[in-house]
Amino acid sequence: MTALGAAAPRRMPGGRALLGLSGLTGLLVLVELLPRAGIVSDRYLPPTSRILAALADEAATGAFWVAVGDTLTAWAIGLAIAVVAGVAVGVLIGAVPVLRAVTASTVEFLRPIPSVALIPLAVLLYGSDLGSTLLLVVYAAFWQVLVQVLYGVADVDPVADETARSFRFSALARIRHVLWPTALPYVFTGIRLAASVALVLAVTAELVIGAPGLGSVIAVAQTSNAIPTMYALIVVTGLLGVTINLAARYAERHVLAWHQSVRGEAPT
Amino acid sequence: MRRFITGMTVLALVGAGAGCGSSSDDDAATTGGGVDQVKVGIIPIVDVAPIYLGQQQGFFKSRKIELTMESGQGGAAIVPGVVSGQFQFGFSNMTSLLIAETKNVPIKVVANGVASTGQTGKDFGGVVVKKGSPITKPAELAGKKIAVNTLKNIGDTTVRESVRKAGGDPAGINFVEMPFPNMPAAVEAGQVDAAWVVEPSLSAVTAAGGRVVAWNYVDAAPNLTVAAYFASTKLIGEKPDLVKRFTEAMNESLAYADAHPDQVRGILSSYTKIDPKVGEALTLPKWPTEINRPSVETLSKLGAQDGIFGTSTPDLDKLLP
Repeated sequence: MTALGAAAPRRMPGGRALLGLSGLTGLLVLVELLPRAGIVSDRYLPPTSRILAALADEAATGAFWVAVGDTLTAWAIGLAIAVVAGVAVGVLIGAVPVLRAVTASTVEFLRPIPSVALIPLAVLLYGSDLGSTLLLVVYAAFWQVLVQVLYGVADVDPVADETARSFRFSALARIRHVLWPTALPYVFTGIRLAASVALVLAVTAELVIGAPGLGSVIAVAQTSNAIPTMYALIVVTGLLGVTINLAARYAERHVLAWHQSVRGEAPT
Repeated sequence: MRRFITGMTVLALVGAGAGCGSSSDDDAATTGGGVDQVKVGIIPIVDVAPIYLGQQQGFFKSRKIELTMESGQGGAAIVPGVVSGQFQFGFSNMTSLLIAETKNVPIKVVANGVASTGQTGKDFGGVVVKKGSPITKPAELAGKKIAVNTLKNIGDTTVRESVRKAGGDPAGINFVEMPFPNMPAAVEAGQVDAAWVVEPSLSAVTAAGGRVVAWNYVDAAPNLTVAAYFASTKLIGEKPDLVKRFTEAMNESLAYADAHPDQVRGILSSYTKIDPKVGEALTLPKWPTEINRPSVETLSKLGAQDGIFGTSTPDLDKLLP
């Protein structure tokens, strides 16, 4: 990498954060001005200040934090199940060529089914409980992880694999020392994608089915015509999404600090 | 990576622990002291205020019933939930129950839910138009585009009756389906000519200058029974004592709510997010303990007239207590 190429990413983070913040500020100002100028009715899009006031009111209630906790619980459990299952199934399928060939068409058939299409099934199985949310979250997040793991497994260097075989590494040792380090960056990409998707589905399930969490509180606010509160809660889901994404990126950089893909970006 | 997995596991476990605090999974489990854990499927609207008020007043606890309210949006999950045993009791409007009866869904009404006030000009639901709309009388709704929350249900059948009674022809009305909270905006933007709304959306429309042109619940039948609490026939057969205690507690709650409107307005903030100012001003429904059977017969007749039951006719003796 040239000096110029190395310098560019070093300067970018600060600048990008500034640009990002100015974009956000612009959006907040726009939402404040549109209703105030009468371009949209403030009964249907309240100005930023009123949404933030409603947010402060909500944050002062215990019920709000219980709802945030419920949403994050569903998200965390769902993501954990999806990641464990996705990695286990991915490594198994990826390591055994026959399995890969047998399941390829099934995976490609099941993967594009939108999780929300499973809502009737979830309601029949679990009613409006945590189980319904988990079903949707796990279904959506699982494929993100699985597909990445499959790519990761396929990316194993044949020479490294042959070498390990020559040294009579056991199957487990080959997975541990050859396959896993190669697949890890892919796994992390999968987790990062799955983390965002899991949040989307958690809130969707709560909103549509009424399972406990932020989504169901949004639904109640909507039914009650509490428009500023509704927007405030939507803002909270957005904040959760940003936080989750940042945390996933941080974890990725931290755990994969040794890996080429991360080292290449980091200033040396 | 190992550290990360450990972290995720801990997070999941902590989360699972926290989740237990906010929801209970007992299915009408009888715990120590013979208290029945009961789940009730409701919609978080003004209509169900009595059950929350009754819970607060201890009417259920004194009958050894521990209530948990499960609120789903629109209530589509309530009837299946009650039949499958996820909820012991449910709240649903009368026409939906009549439709369920014609489809041989094994449910039966156990207590009254909510009733119209029976007073033109002072009911909790009505057909609204926007400020400056040329429509002023129910008869003028003929041939117009009207929003209802669910097609082929209590909304469109009673609105047709309003128009019919006023001498208009209900056949040409174009009903469109839309959630109640979206209606004020749709009426104001002119996407629909009129909308059938209930509180608190009704207050939102009138606050924006809209007018009520028809009181469909009042026009349909005097003191119309709008909704009721129901249980599965299985539960009624297996736990008649629990059902009896629930009915008693519910009746006490209904009577209490009807007699204490200020406390009803107070309890709204505990399970809805209705603005307290709106909550103080909105029109409350009536909560009689008796189901008005003639009005249910009228609903059944109106539904049959509009063909919402297919070829069958609801059997009121099987549905009502």
